[in-house]
Amino acid sequence: MDLEGRVALVTGASRGIGRATALRLASEGAAVGVNYRSNQQLAQDVVAEIEAANGRAVAIQGDVSDYQQAQEVVAKTVADLGGLHVLVNNAGIARDALIFNMEPEDWLDVMKVNFGAVFNCTKSALPHFAGQRDGVIVNVSSMMGERGWTGESNYAASKGAINAFTRCCAIETARFGIRVNAVLPGFSPTDLVSELLDKDGGKSIKRQIPMRGFAGVDDVADAVAFLAGPRSGYITGSLLPLDGGVGAQLGLGRTSW
Amino acid sequence: MTKEEIYGAVHPAVAEALGLDADEVTAESTLMDELGAESIDLLDILFRIERAIGVKIQAADLSEYVQGGIPDEEFGDENDIITAKGLAQLKKVMPQLDVEALSGKLAAENVMGYFTVENLVTLVAERAAVTV
Repeated sequence: MDLEGRVALVTGASRGIGRATALRLASEGAAVGVNYRSNQQLAQDVVAEIEAANGRAVAIQGDVSDYQQAQEVVAKTVADLGGLHVLVNNAGIARDALIFNMEPEDWLDVMKVNFGAVFNCTKSALPHFAGQRDGVIVNVSSMMGERGWTGESNYAASKGAINAFTRCCAIETARFGIRVNAVLPGFSPTDLVSELLDKDGGKSIKRQIPMRGFAGVDDVADAVAFLAGPRSGYITGSLLPLDGGVGAQLGLGRTSW
Repeated sequence: MTKEEIYGAVHPAVAEALGLDADEVTAESTLMDELGAESIDLLDILFRIERAIGVKIQAADLSEYVQGGIPDEEFGDENDIITAKGLAQLKKVMPQLDVEALSGKLAAENVMGYFTVENLVTLVAERAAVTV
């Protein structure tokens, strides 16, 4: 139980990686703020699942792409759960399109949610973390922020922004007892990327992954729990790929597909 | 809280935030000019003080405190040199200043360079009194 006595806030925790992360942190003993924007029932299901396992959690509504609401979400977590030690910036959206077809609002919306929410929640949590000289931030980013993919320019740019912000935030806050890292999943089959997998169930993508499979949401949650816990005490400013080896290989990793 | 107790919290906060030995920091040391504090160091010092004695001071409060609510255009002249009115205010929060020598010579951007550990202790003491 690495996170006994700790309070964690997971944004976008009603589904996908956020949901798995909330459950995982709770299983390590953390009390968890389960943030959601619109899926109240799903968020309450996550809370119920944590409580059924004798954990502590509250569902906290708020659109964290809005600075004011992000501040309220952080404040409510502190008020309801008696503190805050771990912030997992997970909330994210995708608006995949070729740049030829992309509208300005397509990148702005994605940037506002994916990167804006990281900024908003980080800034809201920092005074609290610095005051107690104790705090951990884990940003759920993507390998897409380090590499490119057709139709992902806006999403990749938003994740690239998160990665750069993660490094800067880590060096600015290290002296205040705060660690900041990011996990970079490759492909994880959640609702977010369902379009990519529609065609053939992801078969053609899987063939190009050295480990021949997708990251499960629990694989990502495990990595987040590691970075959120005491076993990663000297790690900050790191971008941890969870990609089955995708980022390690030369694009033409095999002579034929 | 006595002034000695506050100094006892501020002194180590300054030394630790700046990575200095305890004897390198005196009450008369100026934080920025002599000890080399930058804005992130000031933040660190203020958070350490908050943690040690529970007195919360925002970084933005520092310059407001020094300027004492005097509007910018009255605090400095058109060349951003501190006015007589400004100097009179500065003398209140930084009594060590030689106001006569600085008259007509002190640029606004250099004001914080004169702020000492002792001046910070005075500010913290004021805030502590309000908090309690």
